[in-house]
Amino acid sequence: MTEEEELIMHLERDQFVAETSRPVARVALTPLGRAGLWALRVFAVAVSGIVIYTFAAALH
Amino acid sequence: MRPAISAPLALPPLTEQDAVRSADRSRVHEARAGNRRWWLLWLLVGPGILAMLGENDGPSMLAYASDGAQYGLGIFVPFVPVLFALAFVVQEMAMRVGAVTHRGYGELVLQRYGSAWGWFAAADLTLTNLITLIAEFVAIRVGLAYFGLGSLVAVALGLAAVLFTFSGGRYWRWERIVLGLALFNGLFLVAALLSSSHLGGASAAGFSHLPGSFNTLLLLLASTIGATVTPWMIFFQQGASADKGMTPRDICEGRWDTAAGAVLAALFGLGALVAGAALLGHGGISAFSQAGFPSALGHVAGGAAASVFALGLIEAGAVAILTISASTAYAAAECVGVAHSFNSSPREAVLFYAADFGVAALAAVVILIPGAPLLSIALNANVLATVLLPVSLVFLIMLANDRGLMGRHANRRSTNAVAIAVATLVGACGAAYGIDSFLQTIGVVSS
Repeated sequence: MTEEEELIMHLERDQFVAETSRPVARVALTPLGRAGLWALRVFAVAVSGIVIYTFAAALH
Repeated sequence: MRPAISAPLALPPLTEQDAVRSADRSRVHEARAGNRRWWLLWLLVGPGILAMLGENDGPSMLAYASDGAQYGLGIFVPFVPVLFALAFVVQEMAMRVGAVTHRGYGELVLQRYGSAWGWFAAADLTLTNLITLIAEFVAIRVGLAYFGLGSLVAVALGLAAVLFTFSGGRYWRWERIVLGLALFNGLFLVAALLSSSHLGGASAAGFSHLPGSFNTLLLLLASTIGATVTPWMIFFQQGASADKGMTPRDICEGRWDTAAGAVLAALFGLGALVAGAALLGHGGISAFSQAGFPSALGHVAGGAAASVFALGLIEAGAVAILTISASTAYAAAECVGVAHSFNSSPREAVLFYAADFGVAALAAVVILIPGAPLLSIALNANVLATVLLPVSLVFLIMLANDRGLMGRHANRRSTNAVAIAVATLVGACGAAYGIDSFLQTIGVVSS
């Protein structure tokens, strides 16, 4: 066993930085899934805006 | 099915980070091979306890104490443990995804579902983290004020803690320093014991002290949920599990780590609640607001209880600054695609360490602004976290169900049922509070 191999023998192959730096494959979302995620995003932004507006209004 | 993460046969090029992580993993292998179970558990605990005790932060402990001062123990004694049980379900998923994929939450969302979703998640996190970090400095200031110290000391203490944990360039060292600090969260339990003889009717208050107004009840629900499960915990535990080098073989110990964190956090949270409940018959929330909690507690339960509570607030704020800043650093560096590990030196991971220190420094600057509405910011931090949590939860559930990534470690149906229920509950509470408050603000409904 080389010194280099001994140094990293306790790591699993997919734990190496070189491996984790390679992006995972992208999954194709279904149109329904994409619509659902956008709806959730719009919901979160809208409710966050309401909370921030209410907070700012309470300060005045 | 083609695996999402493929591995070539040749030895990949090595980095310093690989060598450091391998050294840590060698001890795990030795402990497992020698069947030394307690030593193995000691080596593998960390991310779960830190995520849970990190969320027992300054604003959360003040929120628990405020709930106790206002409503007594009744509803909260069962409610807080139930919320931490739900937090366990969420955090166990984050740990499992990190251990199986060896990747952080931000980079997986970005790579698996597209950069827009990854950046949205990172932006949500940065916003809530910045506001929460301001609240942490406020909590440290409230604790220090009891000892006659001011904002500058709070800022110096918080930022010095961040810089101190950077020394060493190893995840293991960072984790053990923060873990050592986090155990002082138990001070809230000591404060509870010192205050318990002054509870009076608080322990029997039951449901009689529930808020009369619907909006106040929603605020209470939203802020208590926000004190238990938040987006930063997901980013942090998944990123830290990957950074620690956990693998699918460590999932069992990772579950124990997360469960221990949930139990400790629930106990210590209940400690803050009990300490707060001592004020119920002595001015309640108005005493809390006017004098600052430690001083108000001092008048009722004595100087020792007040000092311990004040020290607990300083600890809770400091630990949360460390863990929340780390979650911001993981998210920022993962999304940009640069080194994101405490096993890298600051020179190798400039953006990671800069984001970690930078977000804490930015929050520190805000608390030095004269007249800034710090108390309001602290009280609203948990509510905003609750509102943004469903998005993070949905992506975590999608990742944990992704068999291309997780293989046989993908979610079971029972886990999905609980996780979806948590996301729905959190979304409904956040939305109901936000909409009701907005309608009151514009005068459509009366308060």
